[in-house]
Amino acid sequence: MTTHTVTLGNRGGAIYEVNDRRPLLEQLRNHGVDLPYGCEYGGCITCAAKLTAGTVDQRRQVALNNRQIANGYVILCVARATSDITLEIGVESHDKLYRNPFLDPLKPHELKADIATPKEG
Amino acid sequence: MDGACCGPGYGSPQEAIKAPREKLLYTIAIYTGTGIQKPDYLATVDVDPASPTYSQVIHRLEMPGIGDELHHMGWNACSSCHDDSSMSRKYLILPGVRSNNLHIVDTATDPRAPRLHKVIDGAEIKAKADLSGPHTVHCLGSEIIISFLGNAKGEAPGGYLHLDKEFNIVGRWENSMGDIKFGYDFWYQPRHNVMVSSEWAAPNTFMPGFDLEEVGHLKYGRELHFWDFEKREPIESFYLGEDGLLPLEVKFHHDPDSTHGFCGAALSTNVIHWWKDSDDTWKWEKIIDVENEMHPEWPIPLPGVMSAILISMDDKYLYLNNWLHGDMRQYDITDPHNPKLTGQVFMGGLLGKAPVVNGVEVAGGPQMFQLSLDGRRLYVTTSLFSTWDNQFYPEIREKGGVMVMIDCDPENGGMKINEDFIVDFGKEPNGPSRCHESRYPGGDCTSDIWL
Repeated sequence: MTTHTVTLGNRGGAIYEVNDRRPLLEQLRNHGVDLPYGCEYGGCITCAAKLTAGTVDQRRQVALNNRQIANGYVILCVARATSDITLEIGVESHDKLYRNPFLDPLKPHELKADIATPKEG
Repeated sequence: MDGACCGPGYGSPQEAIKAPREKLLYTIAIYTGTGIQKPDYLATVDVDPASPTYSQVIHRLEMPGIGDELHHMGWNACSSCHDDSSMSRKYLILPGVRSNNLHIVDTATDPRAPRLHKVIDGAEIKAKADLSGPHTVHCLGSEIIISFLGNAKGEAPGGYLHLDKEFNIVGRWENSMGDIKFGYDFWYQPRHNVMVSSEWAAPNTFMPGFDLEEVGHLKYGRELHFWDFEKREPIESFYLGEDGLLPLEVKFHHDPDSTHGFCGAALSTNVIHWWKDSDDTWKWEKIIDVENEMHPEWPIPLPGVMSAILISMDDKYLYLNNWLHGDMRQYDITDPHNPKLTGQVFMGGLLGKAPVVNGVEVAGGPQMFQLSLDGRRLYVTTSLFSTWDNQFYPEIREKGGVMVMIDCDPENGGMKINEDFIVDFGKEPNGPSRCHESRYPGGDCTSDIWL
């Protein structure tokens, strides 16, 4: 089991140690971090956070479209750290998570992974 | 509160219309998705004009956990067990769409201050019935069925959870989901042995928010399903096509002999009408079509988004909302094939037609509503679903939701916003919350069914 550090950029740079086996939500909550969450199966987006440094494995998530992923969002209830990471957590990090679909449509490559088509050119 | 006979509710819709005026109203208020780390709660609103606390929240019952996303709710008993003196309308069932928990709330011991009776753990429901994403609650004689939109992993079509009257999990109610792709709302009409169900989407699709492009990829519903109610299986489906994108709320006439029913197709912003024809087959037609509107700065025409419909207890009026346009409408459906628009008011919405109501800035648009049994007072709230609110009305995070009362004229038609009533959930003690579905202790126009 490998351990990594999680730095919470919008919580005064607080640093916690996590392993690479368990989801970040569970481990951060066990450290006493107050986080929103809902379904706990990677489908409801309530626990979304913004990854500003490092990498995670979030293959089990089904909530994010490719634009949200490109903007750095990760689903903490299923994501595991694969390096030392820095996160912004909570609803304050959701500035680019929500989008009016009539004002700002998604391009075909920005849809969720199961229906997206590769970017042309 | 209930009728003079033995069990809960009323002997008939006509008797319900004559019930005493509502004095209390229960409404869901949520913090899920707002950034405020507090539980969602059931608010008691004083709707008695003679009371000193009229038009105020007088009690808040917090749920035990954070992040449930309370949404719709339903009674343990309604007029369907009016003849059963062992039953009473005592408990409200409040599902958490995200947590999967079912909260059973006792509203009878102290109607002004409801108390938590029991919680059915969401994990137990996933383990025993492979269901998640609870939505509509209907009592069924002395027992309860609840539509769930997904399996334990949030994948469609989900199914129906069956609870006994002590709120124990019996298991799945349906014998088959047939070829149904999605679940959402349902209503039944026992004298015709029929249930009709509608389609939203899988929890994994609608919970993160609304991607319009996913409609074209068939991730949202466009069918209505007719069930053999006793056999508990679907027997016929209607493909509504472009006229029926996101068919959400379904209502039969309250008259238990009637076969007429209605569904609001949210994204198409149409009302679909069905009935059993003289040749004994079910027919459907589109009877109301709300045109899209152009927003001056946006590239895509804006649909009304008709997220709810309601039929008055006398079956004379159909009420609908256009959440994005901002208007509530009243149609005379005396002839259900030919509805006539008889009333319209604006409150909020994205078209800027009524940004302020009774001195309160409205974030959101008309969304859920409950009509008094006598058909004269329509209580309307503004939040739809936390993630969808955040997409279309991001300012609701600071402003919270609002409850408005519309005076309705059941004799001549017409609606008008009541100037003496408004509940601003932006001023709640723990910060701005969002109000959603409402119910009265004595039963309401969206719960009672007659056998």
